[in-house]
Amino acid sequence: MEPWRLQPARDTGLTPAERFRSVRRESGLLESFAHHACFSLLRTYFAIAHRLTITGREKLPAHGPFVLVANHCSHLDALVLGAALTPRHRERVFPIAAGDVFFQSPVTSTFSAIMLNALPMWRKNCGPHALADLRRKLQEERAIFIIFPEGGRSRNGSMMPFKHGLGMLVAETNVPVVPCGLVGTFQALPPHRKLPRPLAIRLQIGDALEFALTANDREGWSQIAATVESCVRDLVAQSRTA
Amino acid sequence: MNNVIWQRLFGFRHAFDDPVTVVLTLAVVALLLLAPLLIFITTRAGKSTADKRKELWDRYRSWIWLVLLILIPILAGAFWTIAAVATLSFLCYREYARISGLFRERTISLIVVIGILFITLAALDNWYRLFVALFPLTVALIAIGGLIADQPKGYIQRVGLGVLGFALFGSGLGHLGYISNDWNYRPILLLIIGAVELNDIFAYICGHLFGRRKFVPNTSPNKTVGGALGALVLTTPLVAVIAHFIWTDTALDSPIRLIGLGIIISVLGQFGDLMLSAIKRDLGLKDTAKLIPGHGGILDRFDSLILVAPAVFHYVNYFVGFAVGQPQQIFTGG
Repeated sequence: MEPWRLQPARDTGLTPAERFRSVRRESGLLESFAHHACFSLLRTYFAIAHRLTITGREKLPAHGPFVLVANHCSHLDALVLGAALTPRHRERVFPIAAGDVFFQSPVTSTFSAIMLNALPMWRKNCGPHALADLRRKLQEERAIFIIFPEGGRSRNGSMMPFKHGLGMLVAETNVPVVPCGLVGTFQALPPHRKLPRPLAIRLQIGDALEFALTANDREGWSQIAATVESCVRDLVAQSRTA
Repeated sequence: MNNVIWQRLFGFRHAFDDPVTVVLTLAVVALLLLAPLLIFITTRAGKSTADKRKELWDRYRSWIWLVLLILIPILAGAFWTIAAVATLSFLCYREYARISGLFRERTISLIVVIGILFITLAALDNWYRLFVALFPLTVALIAIGGLIADQPKGYIQRVGLGVLGFALFGSGLGHLGYISNDWNYRPILLLIIGAVELNDIFAYICGHLFGRRKFVPNTSPNKTVGGALGALVLTTPLVAVIAHFIWTDTALDSPIRLIGLGIIISVLGQFGDLMLSAIKRDLGLKDTAKLIPGHGGILDRFDSLILVAPAVFHYVNYFVGFAVGQPQQIFTGG
């Protein structure tokens, strides 16, 4: 039980536009209502249009902090993962999205922040500073991150090698990493299409991994990337054959 | 709903029925037109830096928007006035909840928001009994809502913050909306808001001219006794004279009572300002938000109004009353 502390919102002092693009952003009552409504609608949409089947849902931790990691080949991926979480989780879910795609213009950044609760990751100049902010947020706010460590959408549907960023968030912490395998999102909405086709999507959730004993250095990060990548590959393969 | 009520709620053609409204509106417009000249002269004559000049112009541009956002609803009709007051209540509560951290307590925040909604409905309906009942009932709901998390650690702080938020921004500011039930609400509201804002400016100017002794240096280092007294001396007669023309030949229309009204507005306006300074200092913040260029947040601008609204309402209500003889419960009364 935590004692009450007078603690202003971490984004106090930012203008509305800065706030939407900031990692320090904390949702208020209306925004949190918007995320709930958005992900509930998406869940219904995926259930009807894509006959979404989720296996291994019981493996999700009851509450944050944890990191959902999956293969990435479509804009639908983050939406499927967000919709797969329970309403209890939704308060603290942050899809980590490419800043240059989702936070470039005021319109898209407002939408990404209000509806999806997304946080920007600037791929061109994402230094250790940005990742340190995210690492702190993950633990302090008991957040749930949705991360695609491939660093972008695969253009042909096959998985690319995982990058180090994930390791920089979870090495030497007790934050669980939940690997997921996504099948069908590439066929439903590949990068070159504008609108999704109503094809089936399957999501396989794997056992949570922890990296409390893995060193928070370059070697540890590659080890984490390799471990999680092989888990995700297995889950994708399982999902394909299922 | 009869035509009289309809005209009060939406009858913008009656905007300038009362000569006091005309005078106050013209005064505000004249001040806005004169201000650029004053800024120009002071920045030219004085040795003000570019930053200071930019801040003054930012403030001035924001003031134009603020004046429009305040003046248009009041002139347009009671319905729009009550809607504007509700918006102000929500925005103030939002800023307060964010700087105090209360926004993380979703249940309590939701109850305060619902309380503000009901206060607005009671004002719109001219249902005084509900308006009065809502304060203790919402407090009770907040106390109950705080139990839901089943975390007694910090219960007093969470519920206390919720009650303070509702008292100041829901109930307190809500009195401005309730005043709109009076047929002649326009000059009353313009007087209250105008006098409070002028009072701030008087305190600022007098502080610069004769301010030597610090007033409450720990809470607000820039406030001086000279500034506070100067504002009191300037605001009180101004309010008394205008109020005399609004409440001519009523029980309030005696010099002592009119001066009493002026003192209430000046003193409570300054205490409202100090209250927000104390809240910000407690939290270690300079501004409550970065929303209005040159001013800070909504709370930074409207802090002086918060304590004035209920006090003026009940002072006038004691002698004269609002909406006397007008139908109550205009929507729910059937």
